[in-house]
Amino acid sequence: MKRHGHTEKNEHSHDHLHEEISETSKPGYYEIMETAVRELLCEKQIIHSSEIRRQIEVLDSRTPALGAKVVAHAWVDPEFKARLIEDGRKGCEELGISFYDDTQLIVLENTEKVHNLIVCTLCSCYPRPVLGLPPDWYKLKPFRARAIYEPRAVLAEFGTTIPDDVEIRVSDSTAIVRYLVLPMRPDGTENLTEERLAELVTRDSMIGVVRALNPSEEQEK
Amino acid sequence: MSTEELMKRLPNDIGGMPADPIVQVEHVLEPWEKRCHALADVLDFHKILNTEEKRRGVEALGSEMIGKLSYYERWIVAFANIFFQKGILTPTELAKKMAEVETRDIS
Repeated sequence: MKRHGHTEKNEHSHDHLHEEISETSKPGYYEIMETAVRELLCEKQIIHSSEIRRQIEVLDSRTPALGAKVVAHAWVDPEFKARLIEDGRKGCEELGISFYDDTQLIVLENTEKVHNLIVCTLCSCYPRPVLGLPPDWYKLKPFRARAIYEPRAVLAEFGTTIPDDVEIRVSDSTAIVRYLVLPMRPDGTENLTEERLAELVTRDSMIGVVRALNPSEEQEK
Repeated sequence: MSTEELMKRLPNDIGGMPADPIVQVEHVLEPWEKRCHALADVLDFHKILNTEEKRRGVEALGSEMIGKLSYYERWIVAFANIFFQKGILTPTELAKKMAEVETRDIS
């Protein structure tokens, strides 16, 4: 990235200046192109600027905490889990998580026999309504190229070792079908509340590159 | 890569190819990158540009450009090309608008 302006994260309003969040460099060529394309489309009334602002709010509202809530609820409610696996989108919608796009969601359950991993070999399709935007490594060549033919080596690079007698299934996302991994519930969590369970469910565990945290790891986090 | 291999694989079709170890990089999107993403979503809602068209638009940039541009740089260039093809924008309009945006006071 060539330019460092302020980000939404550290934007705040009060009357003194912060050097680190002021705009110090001119916008780059592609940023100028983005502004120009967007403004032309607005001038032609093909889109409205309020729609862009609204969609930025939607994007900001989507984080892995939503997916974690779904997973934790599936861990404590077997009937919900069955419905979630039957239709991932409807299951999420049951918990109030709306889908802002036309995608379908397939929830893949990890078990003692099967470990699931998701990828998008062609580009960057990802269950955005429930996880937000994907990390950069998910969109880059090494993960996209290798996940489908050497998943065990890929998982090892994330520090995850899956026993040889456990099958690894890799699911390749498409424009309209997205996947979410339902990680296994860690041992020793029988007495935890649903909210505490959700804290054990990381983004990466729902991509399938790691397991859910166990309670002692969560405290170290 | 040989031309024969390039013929058989579109630039995005990299599943199964040899590649480097994974480096777990991530970054918080810059404001223009997030606006670019929101723009794509809004265009999708209006049925002007869907995910498959976006990918084909990126692939049409060719492997050299794909290799050199960042993720959202590829997107915005692809969008512009697609709008030229669909007759939604003209190259002249975009060039004029970009020149105007560039002269704005960034403060």
